[in-house]
Amino acid sequence: MTAVAVDAPVLRPAASARPLAWLRERGMGASVLVAALSSAFAVVLMSTTAFISLLLRSDPFIGESETLVFILGFLTVLLVGVAVYVAAIVTANTFATVVAGRTRQIALLRLIGASAKAQRAEVARQGLIVGAIGAALGFVIGTGLSLGGALLAVQMMDLVLIDDVTTLLQPLLALPVVVVALTTWGAAWAGSRRVLTVTPLQALGGSVEPTRETVARRSGRNITALVLFVIGGGMLALGIAVGLVTPLGVAISFLGGIFSFTALALGATLVMPPVLRLVGRLFGRSATARLAAENALRYPERSSRMAIGVVMGVTLVTMFAVALETVKAVLTASSGGELDPGMATLIDSFSAIMMTLVAVSAVIAGVGLVNLLTIGVVQRRRELGLLRALGMSNAQVRRMVLLEAAHVTIAALATGLVLGIAYGWAGAQSVLGSVRFPPAWLSPTFVPPAVPLWPVVAVVVATAVLTLVAAVVPTRLATRVAPVAVLAE
Amino acid sequence: MYANASLGRRGAPGPIRSVEGMEITSTDLGLAARVQQLTKSYGGGENAVRALDGVSVGIRRGQFTAIMGPSGSGKSTLMHVMAGLDAPTSGRAWIGDTEISGLGDLELTLLRRRRVGFVFQAFNLVPTLDAIGNILLPFDLDGRRPSAIERARIDGLVETLGLTARLTHRPHQLSGGQQQRVAIARALATAPDLVFADEPTGNLDSRSGREVLGLLAAASRDHGQSIAMVTHDPLAASHADRVLFLGDGRIVADKPRQSAEQIAAYMLETESALSSEVTA
Repeated sequence: MTAVAVDAPVLRPAASARPLAWLRERGMGASVLVAALSSAFAVVLMSTTAFISLLLRSDPFIGESETLVFILGFLTVLLVGVAVYVAAIVTANTFATVVAGRTRQIALLRLIGASAKAQRAEVARQGLIVGAIGAALGFVIGTGLSLGGALLAVQMMDLVLIDDVTTLLQPLLALPVVVVALTTWGAAWAGSRRVLTVTPLQALGGSVEPTRETVARRSGRNITALVLFVIGGGMLALGIAVGLVTPLGVAISFLGGIFSFTALALGATLVMPPVLRLVGRLFGRSATARLAAENALRYPERSSRMAIGVVMGVTLVTMFAVALETVKAVLTASSGGELDPGMATLIDSFSAIMMTLVAVSAVIAGVGLVNLLTIGVVQRRRELGLLRALGMSNAQVRRMVLLEAAHVTIAALATGLVLGIAYGWAGAQSVLGSVRFPPAWLSPTFVPPAVPLWPVVAVVVATAVLTLVAAVVPTRLATRVAPVAVLAE
Repeated sequence: MYANASLGRRGAPGPIRSVEGMEITSTDLGLAARVQQLTKSYGGGENAVRALDGVSVGIRRGQFTAIMGPSGSGKSTLMHVMAGLDAPTSGRAWIGDTEISGLGDLELTLLRRRRVGFVFQAFNLVPTLDAIGNILLPFDLDGRRPSAIERARIDGLVETLGLTARLTHRPHQLSGGQQQRVAIARALATAPDLVFADEPTGNLDSRSGREVLGLLAAASRDHGQSIAMVTHDPLAASHADRVLFLGDGRIVADKPRQSAEQIAAYMLETESALSSEVTA
């Protein structure tokens, strides 16, 4: 009997009638959106790089075009990599919550004889479909945007050098589509781990009261994170030291930055909960504030990973802003207090472009935040009903959900600003440590970090907007819960 | 603020009227809550289900009242409307001297927070708050600390209910009986006009269930707390001072304290009368 059940095709009760009915489930739309965003971003960025290199190649007056093309390509890979990484985190979180919502159904299928493994594979398969749909959509949108943009640019700048913009459609553009579909698949697989812990008995038990999720002690991952962090930190220090002699130290610092930041992302569940707890304490002692603070920590793994998505965006934006501002400050000082306006414009526009591009990852993280809050509200319907029955007003419910959103974003903003300033300074210091510096005109020098006001203000405002936007849908859902919902099974 | 929302403004003639033509208040009648000609229907058109059909009844102050009836008799609906959790289709309801039918959402919320206590069958406690946090939740939602008198009352409750050693435990660290006792402490903490208990022993073993019922009965007997308990368990109802029987959305009987055997016998009797009606 067991053998038959295990070998039987995966049970899909609702699927027989409408094969893709599960796509309407809460969270699936967001996963498609996230995949589409990252694949469209990749396509646009790659086409833009191709367009620029085409321009450079056709222009005989630009000398070091090969280097510039290489740098552009490198930045493209970096930015797309970050976007895909953030998208994968969002998708893994979404699928973890989707699985939590399906516990009853999975338990029922287990009861009839479906194997846990087959159930998990089914969830992952849905991830692959979602990823493929999203990636294809993103490809279409991205290609459309790129071709339109290229046509516009050719006409506006009157470029006769490029006669056919369709040459931008290289086979290489299929790569991000495949990568996005596959990472979504992998993320869905990673996020569906909890399928394995669902027992058939859960189909019978009445309402299992949701207790707080204990952070799975995955010591393996934590050790990896720690080792990477130590290596990364060491390389950063080494890069800064080498930078005192030669600007090439930045290469070591760069690797150190990648290692240490990956360590932070891996060890999010070690780093973020203390920060979240600290921020939660700032909210005060009112009932709504305490409930909101506790809610963000109820699923520490989920909130930590979500926060890390926002941290990445904030860190990268701040890092570029701080590094470039520091470079500007040094250049200003070494040119006698007056920076060449052309140079200043160049640095500022590069800074602005980088910030805009990194902001795409922040938008993806924002989608994840909306999802996190929404599913949190949906899963707490009964608890919200209880609170309403006991006398929590709709205004208090609204404030609680907004505070939950603010909890994650403020913790992420603070962490990201600190990290961004640190990384930005480390980069600038390793590049400029060997530069002779006024007034003594001596090297090695210590370069003080310069924190630009407006980019930081922009980051703070953007995070505030993200918080408000992310809270809209979950607030509407939460305030619609009637007090009698506490009695619903 | 609710004392101002007095009665007698509506012109509709009701059955309870004094000779001067002024409506008699719940206080005059010695009632903690009452409903008048209450009707509640679900759905519309041909599928409409009438859960309550012109119910008029009062819950006496200081008494422990059980509301009994088989599934679908309307007993839970009656409690929801009486407690301001749900709005009636027609009819009027009062808690103390405040008419709650027609109140807005915020006013109902404040009323539940300050003047009503709840003990549900399950999912009584907020999982992220410890026991004392749950007990103090009605005060916290009100944005105030308990006064010295309230504090003393809560301390007394915590001791009587045997929760002293459990105050910092979270719900998932407590047994079912302990969770219900925390819920009782919370319901009694604000000294509400009325405590509503909805199948409070439904999820408990018989010993914990007896304990919980004994505590509710003691709160009513020793402290004059008005309690309305919805149940379908004759044993639970036998702890009450008064037993109301509901059937098909109507009050079918109103009896003083009964033994479990008497209650069960009455229920079987009406059940067989109904089924013979059906076969006839």
